[in-house]
Amino acid sequence: MRAKRDILAGTLLLVLVIALAVGQKLVAKTTAAQGTSAVMAPKFEVDPLWPKPLPNHWYQGMTIGVSVDDKDNVWIIHRPDTLSQSEAAADQKPPTGTCCSKAPPVLEFDPQGNLIGHWGGPGPGYEWPESNHGITIDYKGNVWIGGNGQNDAQILKFTQDGKFLAQFGHEGKNGGSNDTENFGRAAKIFVDPKTNEAYISDGYLNHRVVVIDADTGKFKRYWGAYGHRPDDTNLGRYNPDAPPAQQFRNPVHCAELSHDQLLYVCDRVNDRIQVFRPDGTFVKEQFVAKRSLADGSVWDIAFSKDPEQKYIYLADGRNEKVYIILRDTLEILTSFGDGGRQPGEFFGVHSIATDSKGNIYTTETYEGRRVQKFVYKGLAPVTKLDQGAPWPASASR
Amino acid sequence: MSERMRNRAIGMGVAFAAFVVVLVVRPNLLEQSTAHAKEKPEAPNLQVDPLWPKPLPNHWVLGSVTGVAVDSEDHIWVIHRGADSLNALEKGAILDPPTGCCVPAPQVLEFDEAGNLLGNWGGPGPGFDWPRSTGGLFVASNGNVWIAAAGLAPAASRGPGGAGAAQANAPSPQDAQVVEFSGRGQFVLEIGHAGKPGGNDSTTGLNRPAGVSLDPRANEVYVADGFGNRRVVVFDAATGAYKRHWGAYGQMPDDSSLGPYDPNAAPAKQFREVTCAKVSKDGLVYACDRQGDRLQVFHTDGKFVKEVTVAKATLGEGSVWDVAFSNDPRQRFLYVADGQNKKVWVLDRASLTILSSFGDGGRYPSLFYGVGSIAVDSKGNVYTGETYEGKRVQKFAYKGVAPAGQDR
Repeated sequence: MRAKRDILAGTLLLVLVIALAVGQKLVAKTTAAQGTSAVMAPKFEVDPLWPKPLPNHWYQGMTIGVSVDDKDNVWIIHRPDTLSQSEAAADQKPPTGTCCSKAPPVLEFDPQGNLIGHWGGPGPGYEWPESNHGITIDYKGNVWIGGNGQNDAQILKFTQDGKFLAQFGHEGKNGGSNDTENFGRAAKIFVDPKTNEAYISDGYLNHRVVVIDADTGKFKRYWGAYGHRPDDTNLGRYNPDAPPAQQFRNPVHCAELSHDQLLYVCDRVNDRIQVFRPDGTFVKEQFVAKRSLADGSVWDIAFSKDPEQKYIYLADGRNEKVYIILRDTLEILTSFGDGGRQPGEFFGVHSIATDSKGNIYTTETYEGRRVQKFVYKGLAPVTKLDQGAPWPASASR
Repeated sequence: MSERMRNRAIGMGVAFAAFVVVLVVRPNLLEQSTAHAKEKPEAPNLQVDPLWPKPLPNHWVLGSVTGVAVDSEDHIWVIHRGADSLNALEKGAILDPPTGCCVPAPQVLEFDEAGNLLGNWGGPGPGFDWPRSTGGLFVASNGNVWIAAAGLAPAASRGPGGAGAAQANAPSPQDAQVVEFSGRGQFVLEIGHAGKPGGNDSTTGLNRPAGVSLDPRANEVYVADGFGNRRVVVFDAATGAYKRHWGAYGQMPDDSSLGPYDPNAAPAKQFREVTCAKVSKDGLVYACDRQGDRLQVFHTDGKFVKEVTVAKATLGEGSVWDVAFSNDPRQRFLYVADGQNKKVWVLDRASLTILSSFGDGGRYPSLFYGVGSIAVDSKGNVYTGETYEGKRVQKFAYKGVAPAGQDR
């Protein structure tokens, strides 16, 4: 009876996996990956005990941003107010238990996983987001934070000690995708060290990428999908069988510039990456798991740490995995992760970053509520397209 | 994995072991505590195994875990609430059309000691009432699996997408049963029936039983009854025939309103929620009064022996969710799963003194959210199940005993 059930479930899954693969040449890729032609890709193993438990009975909510600074310290941002009353029992009035309390929204870990800094929240002179979203340490060491709350139309810049530096845009002032002073629930910021320009993925309400001067906040240029002028026409639900949408859907969830000056934009719900030159000229696009519905497959990307940035790591919170993609061709080489609460599994894998050693860090929103570390183990032949939870080799007993 | 990595995991919660814990000790208990004070206090040293169990196949995910048990072969059994407890975004593969990952795992899972999945079954079938929302499970010495049915219709919505988004079936009636299956999932016996709850004085009906266990010597079933009633009920395990029941302090339970739990009030004369009833080798029955923050101990005939209050100031869902006995012949230690404070308390069973605790809140290995079920294998390893959005089973490897209360 059990065997039959296993086979049935396995078959259903196989059908789904194949369905998701069609349309992105994964089937062909499978053959290549399993054949004798040794496709090489970076290999990772989860570190199940990173980071160390937080002090003070602190508890993490939806964790919706991660960035690594030049000292390889790992910064995350989470939403303390997403904790349930049961999770934040010690914060209730009266307290309903000794555990736990909301951790401050910005947390900084050293490479060993020790918590070495924490701050964040409302303060004088700036509008802390209703719902913080995304964290970026720029080339000067400053900390940028977006916000995707209903009224969030601002982005913020702080020092690493949490001292306020600048706010661009203002809460409640969103003027749509052609506004040149405010944002529309911005997801994330990237700062180009060559030009000191900040690229904003804008966002959960607007449908564009915005480029501003990182010091003054002055708008320099912006564009929508394919480099079009963005508009805010409701596109309705994503349909994988329809022609590709001519505008981004919400949210525009990442905009990351490579060393060779190509901008990779996450069009999350449209299940695609679009690539641009810094001036907004469209270069190409790539669909990923195109049949993914609901909250979409293209959530965030990070580049590999080699000078050529040969690989893209793509977090897919819909299919609960990280794809390893050849940046040059945008071909998927392999993936790791799966749904679940154990190490190397995900629920809502939302953000991704790499450190100088090539290690990957991911954070999970929804009820995942973690940051995880995946240790870089060098290049290895691809044996599986879908590796599942990348557990340490020593764990296979 | 290096020893260093393993070693750093557990100690955290122990540093806080002395947190607002109020022991209500009755006079006879005080005498016992004094007698035991001569011994140097020790407690089991447990270290999380962050890579147990192995990842499930088929993109299966666990829902809210409501029971964990260990059988005579040291296989670990887990029961969880399946699709109804999973957010639409966690079960995308079973939606129509599918949106992506994942698939609810079958609700009963059997693992070996190494964490390999050995068996899986569960769900409605002819001749029995599958729980609309599972409670605890227990594996008898004959290998049969007993399951408590704890559901109250309708299931609450949980988070974005809502629970049960894929459930097109008509709502099933309120749970009021415990069901026995073979280890392969063949139906054997049902006590009580869904939709036919019995009150605190019923000899045939239950009301949302939370836990079930067996006393092998007498071949009797102990039902923690439960979320709807406030009593321990004992049945003949072979026939399902009613034998006896009792409430707090061994008195007859009644349905009078207790109001909200007040830690400063005199101890309630009735249970609030009975979520466990487990029998030790020396014939003592341990009953979890979850929202009453206490464990009451009885003889098997229902005669009250003693009680202990754990983290008395705890409100919300309370501190005493489930208990397990240590594996030594004397069952020297008691483990108490505390889902509200997100830790496991270690008690000296004879004196009911709290020796230590481990765990804290969070999603990382060795941390908990909604730790509500606990079991011990023959080697002393401890297994925990997490409900709510914890949705995990964790293993804590037994590493001998160490001085109690020390930050390891």
